[in-house]
Amino acid sequence: MSALRTSSSRVLGASFGARAAMLPTRAAFTRSMATVSETPAEPEPRLKTFQIYRWNPDTPSEKPRMQNYTIDLNKTGPMILDAIIRIKNEQDPTLTFRRSCREGICGSCAMNINGQNTLACLCRIPAESSADVKIYPLPHTYVVKDLVPDLTYFYKQYKSIKPYLQRDTPAEDGKEYRQSKEDRKKLDGLYECILCACCSTSCPSYWWNSEEYLGPAILLQSYRWLADSRDERTAERKLNLENNMSLYRCHTILNCTKACPKGLNPGKAIANIKLAMNSS
Amino acid sequence: MASFARPSLLRQTAMASRCTAISSVATRAAIARPAVVAAFHTSSKRPAFLPPGPQKIQGSVNDPAFVPEANSAHGSYHWATERLLAASLVPLTIAPFAAGSLNPFTDAILCGAVLLHSHMGFQQVVTDYIPKRGWPRLHKAFWWALNLATVTVGVGLYEFETNDVGVTEAIKRVWKA
Repeated sequence: MSALRTSSSRVLGASFGARAAMLPTRAAFTRSMATVSETPAEPEPRLKTFQIYRWNPDTPSEKPRMQNYTIDLNKTGPMILDAIIRIKNEQDPTLTFRRSCREGICGSCAMNINGQNTLACLCRIPAESSADVKIYPLPHTYVVKDLVPDLTYFYKQYKSIKPYLQRDTPAEDGKEYRQSKEDRKKLDGLYECILCACCSTSCPSYWWNSEEYLGPAILLQSYRWLADSRDERTAERKLNLENNMSLYRCHTILNCTKACPKGLNPGKAIANIKLAMNSS
Repeated sequence: MASFARPSLLRQTAMASRCTAISSVATRAAIARPAVVAAFHTSSKRPAFLPPGPQKIQGSVNDPAFVPEANSAHGSYHWATERLLAASLVPLTIAPFAAGSLNPFTDAILCGAVLLHSHMGFQQVVTDYIPKRGWPRLHKAFWWALNLATVTVGVGLYEFETNDVGVTEAIKRVWKA
């Protein structure tokens, strides 16, 4: 194959060289004409309208409203985040949202897209349907501006479960805390959580009682430390959940599992916590 | 970001699409405005006992959230009791029909289990929707109303069992399948 290619290119090169030597200006002219006629016609613009929730804290008396933006999908990347970045760049620089990694690992761009909490960077623009895309901030959150929710209390709740390794005994070899492959496997599906709050803000129980109920994201993290074989404060961690609000406001609605953009299962983690609470 | 590097021709088309967007917004708003306004104005008609309330953050942003006092009776024991009670309802419901004989003793256990099950279920509803944190007095009122209702139903079931045919026999007579 490569031999063929080299020989053919050599033949072409030779013929072109010969023609160029004979008629240098004309040869160059025909080539440029050919290139222009070969460019494909501008494709039909695929316009898509995005309805985006707008609220400005500078004018707090104004009601929140939906603002429409229409963009051409041919010139936009495939994901919702590409679209809203494009809208911010080209149509409305006042549109406010969080984004960072654009590949589903930072959890910044969590928002409610067409009624489903998800990461804008992992959500494709539904190109086949002509319906408008509706984008809201995460439901039942205090909105800072436009699509930016206030996650202060969410992080305070995260802090309350002490999301770090707690040990009293030093490591046997004085170097690192070892764990078997089986024990490590228990953390799969837990450690991947990026705390984007998609699950917690999709949980009706968290909507009603977010001040006291920890919510699926924090409980998944709680279980991540309960299940860790290296952690030595399991009893204390369980005791912190021994009340009727922190854990037991979960009624197995499973919106959390449906919402998780990383494909994790917070509902199962909470079920495991409930079983662990009774098995001690 | 990428748009800074884009050729001016593309930017012109973008401007053009923006103009069409604005015009389409105008036409759409003319049609959709009443509904949208109505949807967003519901907050002013919110009932007095459900205020939206500003966000209250206790302590600084770096303090952990409050952890309530541990109490197994409200935590794991309560949960386990609920599950056991719910699971026990299945055999208790089938037992009198499977045995073919109506025993006042099994009837009493079934009635008691159903009563406790529904009481605990309604307690969850009160805890969920009228939390002590937001409406302490309303919470208390509903809590005691629920207790009163459960006692009333309990007395009624007792009367029904002792002076009438009992629950299982009543269902048997009503059920014409």
